[in-house]
Amino acid sequence: MSLCLLDEENFHQCCQLLLQQSDELRDGWSWEPIQGTEEGYLRKTALRSVIIDASIKWDQEVSRSDSETHTSCDSGPDQQKQCALAAPSDADIIAGDIDENDEDDGVCAVSAGSSQVLQYEYHIVYSCSYSSPVLYFRACTLEGRSLSLEEVWSSVHPNFRLQLQHSPLNTITQQEHPLLGQPFFMLHPCRTEEFMRPVLQAAQDQHRTVNYILTWLSVVGPLVGLDIPLQYSVQLHHAAPSQTDTPDALLHSLSS
Amino acid sequence: MADDKDVLRDVWFGRIPTCFTLNQDEITEREAEPYYLLLPRVSYLTLVTDKVKKHFLKVMKTEDVEEMWFEYEGTPLKWHYPIGLLFDFHASNTVLPWTITVHFKNFPDSDLLHCQSNSVIEAHFMSSIKEADALKHKSQVINDMQKKDHKQLWMGLQNDKFDQFWAMNRKLMEYPTEEGGFRYIPFRIYQTLSDRPFIQKQFRPVSSDGNAHTLGDLLKEMYPAALPNDGEPKRNQVVIHGIEPLLETPLQWLSEHLSHPDNFLHICVIPIPTD
Repeated sequence: MSLCLLDEENFHQCCQLLLQQSDELRDGWSWEPIQGTEEGYLRKTALRSVIIDASIKWDQEVSRSDSETHTSCDSGPDQQKQCALAAPSDADIIAGDIDENDEDDGVCAVSAGSSQVLQYEYHIVYSCSYSSPVLYFRACTLEGRSLSLEEVWSSVHPNFRLQLQHSPLNTITQQEHPLLGQPFFMLHPCRTEEFMRPVLQAAQDQHRTVNYILTWLSVVGPLVGLDIPLQYSVQLHHAAPSQTDTPDALLHSLSS
Repeated sequence: MADDKDVLRDVWFGRIPTCFTLNQDEITEREAEPYYLLLPRVSYLTLVTDKVKKHFLKVMKTEDVEEMWFEYEGTPLKWHYPIGLLFDFHASNTVLPWTITVHFKNFPDSDLLHCQSNSVIEAHFMSSIKEADALKHKSQVINDMQKKDHKQLWMGLQNDKFDQFWAMNRKLMEYPTEEGGFRYIPFRIYQTLSDRPFIQKQFRPVSSDGNAHTLGDLLKEMYPAALPNDGEPKRNQVVIHGIEPLLETPLQWLSEHLSHPDNFLHICVIPIPTD
């Protein structure tokens, strides 16, 4: 059990390790402490060019069926792995050609197919309930207008969107940030343990260590446009010569 | 001695007399009368205010109406907190009825979650129950339930059906007798001193030497500033469902009897008014 869960102390250690690497790679992660406590969260901002696909019909039925199937344990972690590995390298540019629902419900304030630059803010927060990290994020236009849940859904790459909507592994909802009290979007952590288990199990079997946060982030990050440079895994290898961890091994354990 | 089950009923049927008034800046065709309602403590603002909305829409033009939201004395009210918690935290030392201002424009995006349909409330409610069960039973009870069981919990709350809700909720309150309680107690402590919305950590109902943890033990560990120092007068009230339970009350009992339907024990620490 303890293999697949992350306690708070390990969370902090994994974050520190990621921060050290981020400093070298200069990709912008920082630690934000909460005043008067030992707690905090990892934070990164990024500009993304996104095509918001206004032809996507996002309605309450989608979210309801998501929440209904949320606790059914009928789908394994395979879907998640495939969907993460199917990521094209230019996942930022999104073409809306997948949805068959052509009705223009006008749920998005942005016209169909328009590309725009958005400011994304990502937070990694520890959840003591699920003993796992949780990815929170918000996005706004350069003018400062916050994106709605509908717009966030439609900015998810179509490959991922189908996976998300048809699998209970992850779903995007708006939630209160547990440390800031502000509205954020989040990927629900209730299946994290399940999809992390085979990765951690494989690592243990092969006597190599993995940074839980890094491995987890490489699975959930791309869903919302947060790509993790491969150098993180290469660096990990150099930083700890006793370990046999390579990007190939990581990929292998994810896809096996 | 009254049966402990009566406590569940008393908690469920707790009501707060409330007066809704329309924000003065809203554009109306004629003056809007206030609207009075008894709000269930255990429910959510956006779930029980259809009548309030209908009432004010009668004096407004459709084009002037955006998403409805609520405010008390300048503070936007978070609909995703149970009503009783909002009242205890923001308004417990004021006179009744509780006066809430209703807005139909300038939705405060940076403070409030959007809530455009009951399915959003349902998703939030079920998500809280799941989180609570992750703490109590490693999610085993909630995952063993069927979809219709989840629906029964939600419908029980939505339609104010005590028996329907508790027929299912009692399963979430079970635990192995030999362990003396849940794995961890799902609780949140709300306080006014920092920007952080609440304190939530892992806390066991029984200490390592086998004694039942009390409400006082929890506060001492999580928020010692809430408790008075020896010999000093009490500075704070510790409020759950509008009452101040004794600090000696076992936490497991509180979790089983004074939790909200979302299965969390919501604890407010409020400074005692000085005047």
